[in-house]
Amino acid sequence: MNSFGNMAEAVIAGDFETVKKMTQTMIDEQVDPIAIINQGLMAGMNVVGVRFKAGDMFVPEVMMSARAMSTGIELVKPLIADTNMPSAGKVVIGTVKGDLHDIGKKLVVMMLESAGFQVVDLGVDQAPADFVKAVQEHNPHVVGMSALLTTTMLKMKDTVDALKEAGLRDKVKVIVGGAPVNRSFAEQIGADGFASDAATATDLCKTLAQ
Amino acid sequence: MAVGSNHGNGLFFRTLTEVQAQHIHAASSRILEETGMVIHHLEAVELLRQAGAYVEGENHVYFPAWLLEQALRTAPSRVTMYDRMGRPAMYLEGSNTYFGTGSDTLNFLDPFSGERRSWRTEDVAAATRVCDALPNIDFVMSMGLLSDVEKRMINREQYAIMIQNTTKPQVVISEDGDTLRDIIEMAAVAVGGKERLRQKPLLMSYTEPTSPLQHPAESIDKLLVAAEYGMPTNFACGGMAGASVPTTVGGALVQANAEALSGLVIHQLKRPGAPFIYGYGNSPMDMRTMQAVYGTPEAILFQGGLVDLAHFYNLPCWGYAGCCNAKVCDEQAVMESTMFTLMGALQGCNIMHDVFYMEFGLTGSLELLLISNEAIGRARRIQRGIDTDPAHLAVEAIQRVGPGGNFLGDEHTAQYFRENWQPDLSDFNNYENWTLNGSQTMAERAREKLKYLMEHHHPEPVPAEVKEQIERILKAASARLG
Ligand code: B12
Repeated sequence: MNSFGNMAEAVIAGDFETVKKMTQTMIDEQVDPIAIINQGLMAGMNVVGVRFKAGDMFVPEVMMSARAMSTGIELVKPLIADTNMPSAGKVVIGTVKGDLHDIGKKLVVMMLESAGFQVVDLGVDQAPADFVKAVQEHNPHVVGMSALLTTTMLKMKDTVDALKEAGLRDKVKVIVGGAPVNRSFAEQIGADGFASDAATATDLCKTLAQ
Repeated sequence: MAVGSNHGNGLFFRTLTEVQAQHIHAASSRILEETGMVIHHLEAVELLRQAGAYVEGENHVYFPAWLLEQALRTAPSRVTMYDRMGRPAMYLEGSNTYFGTGSDTLNFLDPFSGERRSWRTEDVAAATRVCDALPNIDFVMSMGLLSDVEKRMINREQYAIMIQNTTKPQVVISEDGDTLRDIIEMAAVAVGGKERLRQKPLLMSYTEPTSPLQHPAESIDKLLVAAEYGMPTNFACGGMAGASVPTTVGGALVQANAEALSGLVIHQLKRPGAPFIYGYGNSPMDMRTMQAVYGTPEAILFQGGLVDLAHFYNLPCWGYAGCCNAKVCDEQAVMESTMFTLMGALQGCNIMHDVFYMEFGLTGSLELLLISNEAIGRARRIQRGIDTDPAHLAVEAIQRVGPGGNFLGDEHTAQYFRENWQPDLSDFNNYENWTLNGSQTMAERAREKLKYLMEHHHPEPVPAEVKEQIERILKAASARLG
């Protein structure tokens, strides 16, 4: 157990070299790969999430921890059947048509990934049809849309409608975000959730993906 | 002047040494030569290819040093902006400094109800009239996003409001080249034709491409339209230090400069000599909240470096002042915005926008606008420096007054005290008199003055036939957009 504790500490410290070495040692010692993820790597990342929210860690440090965790996951992944791979859920996300703002969306992606979500990032300037296609292809728990312009916000409603038309609306939760977006707008267009920052977005996905 | 800003009477300020500027230039040149830029615009890529840039694949462009140097030779070192009457209003050159508002805030901090709400047409019109009245606001931007007009028409309607509610020059946002063409039409009818507009530009186009190391199609479209019309344009790529540019101020400068120069090259190839305003918009990312923050010490230092680079290249420079991250017009608002204003003035940044921005550009406050107007006044006095001619050294006056005398009764005081800065909103009363005047805070005094200006200031109107033409352009655009 202590070695899981050390591994978690190395994840928290964002020390990918040590995480890599420890993971390899455990694999060599035939430790259960799922336990490596859940009790070592993810355990560390969970602490990171709490510390970030408390203001004790900063975003770049969270990113280093997330990279350390993925270094470990990359090593154990081949040992686990796809279906058994622990995942908090799958999220498809993109910036809507006509909008090139993506810094906020990228942060949401990074935070989701560091919380153990599998994320498909479609990039910027995505039309309703692109979201529909991605939902068909990836079958995610949640689809997220980002918009920073009042003009492009309207495309979010078009996407919700397009998902309905394609018969996919009941199969996926829709969340929206970006500076001009707010809760009442989200409700108005028939989305399932809104979050004002990346940390809240992660909590929201955790709730919705259950 | 090589690097740094010369103000009045020997007052001098600089952020970079000449050698540091050279280092940054060399590093930016390396980025352009070795890493290149992705340019999502076929015409621009073609212009660059024909001029001798190296193009990989469809749009990855590598810039040889001589191409940059050629563009730096053809770009003008000074740009004059005119008011609606055709009078020169801003000489963008050297260390001259001018201030104006920002564009497109989502929320209006209603000065009278205290409510944070969306902007309506009459709010933007009233705010623009206030700018017209303020002596230290030299140009305007659209201030608020209109919530009561069709979304695709917002930029055009904003322009129609600006041109009718102030005579001051404007910096305009347009969502694409088509919008910009309509805006130019409106400006042209107001000043008497396109040729006259080219000769005496009333507006500058605002272009803000996306970092890192790429230019989106619509930004380049607008850049080329501006070059084509010979209308001044900035090309301030927007980045967030720590996310889309490096977190170190030096690294942010290297990348910002590379992106700005790449825009300059495209612009000068389209029309050599067309007026270009160098600059970059860097809002560092706060690593706790992930917000793009304004006016932090690093953001201010960054601007100092950028202005010195502009001086190094002998180009006019674009920047920020008077903006903040506070949610209401409080102590933080005034601290952040005033620091930025004073430093921007000392840096000698030619044209500084976003005065009145709150909440990192999401909200606008007219109280902050008025307080900033006063801060700019103070800064401008500082920029004049210390006069050391015999009259100002006042040896004779000192001799006249002599030991134990008083300058208050001397003619020297009566003659020169008016050169000193005079408060308008700042309160210099003693405690008793301050209480007698209602114990007001500065923001309260600002609201009082706002009310007065809104009721009493009437900008020079546009002639009726110009008004009709503007209506016609708006109608045609609205019909075209469906
Ligand atoms: C940086 C920036 C840019 C950069 C973008 C670079 C990039 N790669 O993203 C550049 C320079 C390219 C740019 C361009 C423009 N911009 Co801009 N830009 C900004 C700025 C300053 C910061 C945005 C940002 O990145 N914030 C930081 C991130 C971390 O915050 P965020 O995006 O809000 O994201 C957080 C949350 O919203 C949430 N979130 C985000 N997405 C999602 C998605 C989901 C599903 C969820 C749950 C949550 C979520 O989590 C994020 C992390 O905490 C804002 C002002 C502001 N303060 O918002 C203006 C702003 C958004 N831009 C504005 C404008 C007008 C433009 C231009 C039209 C200007 C022009 N004419 O050139 C162009 C448009 C280009 C286009 N077609 O998209 C206006 C928008 C007004 C409006 N609402 O219509 C703003 C508000 C500034 C202003 N007042 O003028 N811009």
